[in-house]
Amino acid sequence: MPKAVQYRANSIIYFKGDQSDRIFLLNAGKVSLSYIDIENGQEMRDLIKTGEFFGVKSALGHYIREETAIVLQDSTVMVFSVPEFEQLASKNTRIITKMLKVFSNQLRRIHKQVQTLLVSDEQVNPETGLYKIGEYYMKNKRYAQALHAYKRYLVYYPSGAFATDVTTKITSAEDFLSRYGAGEGPAPVASAAPAATAAAAGLAPSVAAAPAQAAAGTSDLAQQYYNAVSLVSQEKYMDAFKAFKKIIDDGADAEYSTKAEFEMAKCLFYLKQFDSCIKSFTVIVQKFPKHPEMKDAIFFVARSYEEKGDKARAAGLFKKILTMGTEDDPVIRKVKKALRALEGGGKA
Amino acid sequence: MSPAAAPDLSMFNRFMVTFRKGDIIFCEYEPGDTFYLLQAGHVQIVRIIGDLEKNIDVLNPGEVFGEMAILEEAPRSATTIALDEVKALEFNRENFEVLMMGNPQIAMRLLKLFIKRIYDQKRRFMILTLEDVEAKVADVFLMLAENQTVDTSAGESIEFKTTVEDMSHWAGIPAGQCREVLNHFVAQRRIELHPDKIVVRNINDFARFVGSRRKHQEK
Repeated sequence: MPKAVQYRANSIIYFKGDQSDRIFLLNAGKVSLSYIDIENGQEMRDLIKTGEFFGVKSALGHYIREETAIVLQDSTVMVFSVPEFEQLASKNTRIITKMLKVFSNQLRRIHKQVQTLLVSDEQVNPETGLYKIGEYYMKNKRYAQALHAYKRYLVYYPSGAFATDVTTKITSAEDFLSRYGAGEGPAPVASAAPAATAAAAGLAPSVAAAPAQAAAGTSDLAQQYYNAVSLVSQEKYMDAFKAFKKIIDDGADAEYSTKAEFEMAKCLFYLKQFDSCIKSFTVIVQKFPKHPEMKDAIFFVARSYEEKGDKARAAGLFKKILTMGTEDDPVIRKVKKALRALEGGGKA
Repeated sequence: MSPAAAPDLSMFNRFMVTFRKGDIIFCEYEPGDTFYLLQAGHVQIVRIIGDLEKNIDVLNPGEVFGEMAILEEAPRSATTIALDEVKALEFNRENFEVLMMGNPQIAMRLLKLFIKRIYDQKRRFMILTLEDVEAKVADVFLMLAENQTVDTSAGESIEFKTTVEDMSHWAGIPAGQCREVLNHFVAQRRIELHPDKIVVRNINDFARFVGSRRKHQEK
């Protein structure tokens, strides 16, 4: 049976690092969870509402507690063992569906955080990825699987970069499957664009994708770039970030890659990835000491430091920008405004 | 969970889909909007890495797959193939809630799955935020050790069934760079590199190394 436990103000229900199978429900009072944010390393506090469960993830998943539960006012807390909690939840599935929503939001958030860190990773764009799966199975004479992948490709990318190639391959795969069966017959991937050969050689996806993109022409590239810019203006920063990244990955044109790199760094700022933003702009500034948008680059670095709470550094950089332009420059105006806000903002 | 212990789902028969042996259920990279509850047969989860099809897992009846689609229509992160005749219930975000309301057991299983995913992702995040590449790779070993729930206190060498490609995936670095780091560890006699496994001589040594790097970064 779950039991009601009274906690005095300032007592601790559990500590970060504890391992326990207890789940708690706040009946009355005030409890706060204190934990370290994995992104910025700062201490965070979440207030538990009455009627809310806490300690669920660590108890159900058998992990150590990631937070310390502190009683702020005298409180009454129901304490459940895992089986007791499961029994309660099985009678009232709303508890679980509600938690599923909370956890799925947390999962989505951490998933995105991880994705933004994978900037330089092996992230393949889904179009090339799907194509390469078809290629893999075709090469290994697993025609049925190849057909599935190729057909899915055409569903999602009917006019994609590999669409013509995929259409031909579907015909071949169907033919081979009926004539020879799986594992027999030819494996005609070498006839494909250089992309296929690169993929077969296990090269990086960016290398593999490049020839196809180049063939698509630079006007498409311009279109791609401006679509991404338009995503920024729609405040769809994650999508924009991915779109710019694709331009760089495809590597079809140095000019657009450079532009995209700059825009990606800006997206990082809007995505509140301040450390990554600072890093990205630092790289850009080092690579292009005479970058035409140098003032903007420094501006975003300064704003990132400001957001991180490093006001001294932010102010220093803002002042540096002031020495680089004149009054009629919109960046300079922006900087002056930012400086005023920074200096007038007190010590908070 | 064994099929016998599975809850009665006969009222969901209209969601039942059947796959023949060898059928791809969904492909890595295709947008996902459905998830599955395996009722009969076995499903293999694979990823094509470089030029190899890598087996990630084989699922038994009662297990859930494709569940990330409940969250958003993100591209699938792996390919699923029917190993024999497969019967599965196919759900989407719309009818998901109906399923959950009537089936606390499945809901609870999904809840635990989400919890595991959250922890896995958080752990991965911790690896990726390390600035030092060597520390990243070392931390991947620590993560693998945590998942194997091996006793690390003994200080004995631990075997990991992993490859350079796998390691580079987890560390978020290119395979070439990962190989360099691993070769360096070999030269330092901290690990042994085999085609199908990597042996870590002293995992505690890596734990101290990662710990000190993380501390250093926080300053």
